[in-house]
Amino acid sequence: MARYALRRVLLAVPVLLGVLLIGFFLMQVVPTDPAVIRAGPQATQEVVDAIREELGLNRPLWAQFGFYLWRLLQGDLGVSIINNMAVTQELSDTIGPTLELMFASLFWSIPLGIGLGTLAAYWRGSMIDRCIMAVSVGGVSVPVFFLGLLLIWLVGFQWQLLPFTGRGGPLWTWDGIQAVILPAVTLGGVFVGPVARMTRTAVVDMLTADHVRTARAKGLSEFLVVLRHALRNALIPVITLIGLQIGFLLGGAVVTETIFSWPGVGRLAVGAILSSDFPMAQGTIIVLSAGFILINLGVDLLYAVLDPRVRLS
Amino acid sequence: MSATVAAPRRPSALRMMLRDTGAAVSLVFVVLIVLAAIFAPFLAPKDPYETDLMAIMQPPSAEYWFGTDGQGRDLFARTLYGLQVTLFMGLASLIVGGVIGAVVGFLAAYYRRLDGLLMRLMDILLSFPAILFGLALAAIFGPGLTSVIFALSIATIPLMARIVRGAAVVVMGLDYIEAARAIGMKDARLILRHLAPNCLSPIFVFATLRLGQVILLGSALSFLGLGAQPPVAELGAMASQGRNFLFIAPHISVIPSVAIFLVVLAFNVLGDALRDALDPRLRI
Amino acid sequence: MTMRWKTLAAAAIGLAVALPAAAQQQPRNQITIMREIDSDRYDPHRTTALAGGEVLTMLSDTLVSMDFDMRTIRPGLAERWEVSPDGKTYTFHLRRDVTFCDGKPLTAEDVVYSINRWIGRTTPRVTSPVAWRAGNVKEVRAVDPYTVEYELNEPFGELLSQLTQFFGSIVDRATVERLGDNFGVQGFNGTGPYCWASWTPRSELVLTRHPTYRWGPPVLQNQGPAHVERVVWRVIPEAAARVAALQAGQADVAQYIPEAFWDALRRVPTIRTSTQENYFWDVFMGFKVDKPVVSDVAIRRAAHMAVDRVGLARAVWSGHALPARNIVNPNALDYDAQSDAMVPNYDPAAARRLLDEAGWRMGSDGVRVKDGQRATFLMYAINNLANQRAAEIIQQGLRQVGIEMRVQMFDATVAWGRLATQEFDAYILSYPYISATDALSLYWHSRNRPSPNRMNWNDPETDAWLEEARRGVTPEARAQATANIQRRLAEQAPWLTLARNQLAVFSTQRVEGARAHGLYGIGIYRGLDLRVVR
Repeated sequence: MARYALRRVLLAVPVLLGVLLIGFFLMQVVPTDPAVIRAGPQATQEVVDAIREELGLNRPLWAQFGFYLWRLLQGDLGVSIINNMAVTQELSDTIGPTLELMFASLFWSIPLGIGLGTLAAYWRGSMIDRCIMAVSVGGVSVPVFFLGLLLIWLVGFQWQLLPFTGRGGPLWTWDGIQAVILPAVTLGGVFVGPVARMTRTAVVDMLTADHVRTARAKGLSEFLVVLRHALRNALIPVITLIGLQIGFLLGGAVVTETIFSWPGVGRLAVGAILSSDFPMAQGTIIVLSAGFILINLGVDLLYAVLDPRVRLS
Repeated sequence: MSATVAAPRRPSALRMMLRDTGAAVSLVFVVLIVLAAIFAPFLAPKDPYETDLMAIMQPPSAEYWFGTDGQGRDLFARTLYGLQVTLFMGLASLIVGGVIGAVVGFLAAYYRRLDGLLMRLMDILLSFPAILFGLALAAIFGPGLTSVIFALSIATIPLMARIVRGAAVVVMGLDYIEAARAIGMKDARLILRHLAPNCLSPIFVFATLRLGQVILLGSALSFLGLGAQPPVAELGAMASQGRNFLFIAPHISVIPSVAIFLVVLAFNVLGDALRDALDPRLRI
Repeated sequence: MTMRWKTLAAAAIGLAVALPAAAQQQPRNQITIMREIDSDRYDPHRTTALAGGEVLTMLSDTLVSMDFDMRTIRPGLAERWEVSPDGKTYTFHLRRDVTFCDGKPLTAEDVVYSINRWIGRTTPRVTSPVAWRAGNVKEVRAVDPYTVEYELNEPFGELLSQLTQFFGSIVDRATVERLGDNFGVQGFNGTGPYCWASWTPRSELVLTRHPTYRWGPPVLQNQGPAHVERVVWRVIPEAAARVAALQAGQADVAQYIPEAFWDALRRVPTIRTSTQENYFWDVFMGFKVDKPVVSDVAIRRAAHMAVDRVGLARAVWSGHALPARNIVNPNALDYDAQSDAMVPNYDPAAARRLLDEAGWRMGSDGVRVKDGQRATFLMYAINNLANQRAAEIIQQGLRQVGIEMRVQMFDATVAWGRLATQEFDAYILSYPYISATDALSLYWHSRNRPSPNRMNWNDPETDAWLEEARRGVTPEARAQATANIQRRLAEQAPWLTLARNQLAVFSTQRVEGARAHGLYGIGIYRGLDLRVVR
């Protein structure tokens, strides 16, 4: 186990370095001089030169990369071109809302998806199975922005039931819950389909496994067989697969945050890119990638703990 | 195993697939939209860029089948041209990413020494969700259709490489490849003549399903303003422009959104049916 | 724009309002104002953005204030003032009861410091892009703690109007020096009716009432303190979301409502609208007169004839903008009616004839050619919905007469840099002004090249007339000088006024006193009259 974990962690290191290299590269190819950016529009040449020296911009590229990593370790991602705010500050302000939105989306979509998938597996081949699978294919095919716009138009505008203009507060407050419903329904809505599909496949696979056959032979009802034996054992691969779909969720989150004015990292990233705020864009991309890689790593390790077969391979 | 078995049975696979009503409808629909996209200039009743200031935000009517947008442009014509741009974006990234990915996959399967290195590289690429490639390329090269196509291509490479390698490794284990190798057939010829044709069905299934995903992602990027730029008629960008009038003239953003939905749905249903038909193991 | 969709929209909005609103209630005595974008900072001497100005007008005061007629100057921090006979020295007598948000009393030194900071005479030096608005200053000095002498090198007839703008806001020197580069980012200290509480960039800015404020401008009903305790400026980038939030009562006031929604919103019984007739904010397309193709006056005049400004106003601004001809608004001081008639009117057939006569022959690709030069030019604009739509319509109009316009749009933050270059041939921008002299001296003096005189207009006669108008010795002389410029520009057509925007401030029934002002485009001036009634 320890060896597997070590190998897996070691594999993540070059990936993380790759992310940082891309971030570093981003700042190299942009047409603006980072020293000028940091100095601000009012700065004189001496100030720019001093900053250039401080940032090590006169040194060879590999040394600059070292400098860059060193600053990064100290939590320094530079300052926004637009408003002079520290990038790390803005990131720490926006990461919470993004996690909140993701949590609220997964909170309902995973149980629903697993439930639907199990039902489909139980009634496999029947009309119900087909309906559930049809809905899930539909769910996979719908553009996130379409779902969001429909909800805004109907629920928010026509029926005036729920707000759709940003975050209302922390999730434990009434305002916070109200404000998160529509974005969470949007983002979770495109996630139910994949979860249902994965669950169905995993449960159906499990139904042919030996211990399930034994259970069936013992005369347990099919419903109990599915629920107790197949689903319980299928949950591990399903949860893993869900973990691996976080990237898919991330894409949806960027769009959802944008249309619902949700103050998260995704919206920050899009705004920064559109306004050519390179330090900010770089920071958001690094944080999103690193978060994604770490989640994948965590899921893999968790899977290894739960399922001994993985470690041996 | 399945690949070699499926190959001689391909006609029956098509027949099997068509027995599924959803798949048959999807196939017809896909053929229709591809034709509509190709022949958009002949089918469109109006110029998709021509603005009619007397007919702004008109709802669908006999004259304007899909209504008009905020600049008085015919939405039916724009949707047809939008299909063209959107499908081009999807196909271009699928082909670029798919070809590179397939080459990597074959090389990894054929030259076992390269396998470890290439597949680790693919693992690294897989560590990034596609949306991040989209964001990063838009940040570096500026928003635009080209950035999106490149981002989606890169995101497709590792997926295709894995599929191809998986299929090719199975075929490599078969006797006749050994035999061909033994009689001294050249590597390139062997890959192209024997390996590739026997891996076609998983590639085909993957490509169909992937096309749907790529279109979905690409239109999302355009919707965010990171992809196709106005006035180019791209479905995601059209939906994005129209959302400003969501409460007044919802059809402007709803129609392109529905178009994307239907196209992606068709490719997904078709891909599922193809997989079921070509790979009977997955059928229950 | 048929009746049908209008009715539909009205019905939709009516239905929405009839249903019980589940909106969360706002804290009592707090008002939320919505807007589209945030400012990069809130420093009156470094920012020129409307998004900055609208907040700065609540955070700080100016020496004099502007009435709703956009002409009459009223007292502000200065309760009275005198102008020397030669028009070069202004003496301002300050009120004695004014304090900053931190409790420090305002003195003449603060005024001197602030004006000097505006015109780049303090260290560290800040560079206000609009330092010229302060006139050609010789010296600003404190005669005693409550008297300021403002001495110019040459008379400047518009000085008082310019001093009403937020660039002339008085700030506290100690706070500026303490916060340095973060002044207006991490904090602020002004004498305004509201004080800085907190700012989350691109999301929310919170102001609290300045409890001892008593020196509001006489143009408002309330001179202080403000009725409301907290004002929250919330950024909601989506136009549709702003409309719905207003209807649902999640926010109270908004001026950034796309014109497409105006008619429908006006029919909603729970929403009040305030408009301002004397609003001068024009959208225009300028041509660089020394670049190929657009250097030809025939091309520029043909462009005027190819663009349907009436249709444009109807399409892009849903009829809530005035179609424009001359460069100056007819309601503005020193507008010249004669030059209005000299601006080419919409007539595509005439445009084609004019281009034919000028030697521009139609090419096979639908673009005209003259001496091997294709009739094509590159246009830059800020990327927003109105510009996008206007550009697409103009592009089509020009294509009809055989001129190709290539469009490149930039996000607002990048655009200003690109618009200062010589890379493009034409550009679309919009700008506020207070009079003909103000409008013309911004863009047409050869000294102002390459920006804001992006047309590269270099005409000694124009310069001379401008200087005459700025000195403004007599009103007649000034009117004559500005009329001369307006006629010259109408003839040479380097500038195509696309539309004159209108100002409407929408508010919910919960709020009273949201009266549209419009100085520099700012909807709510000082915000002293805002009051929660329910």
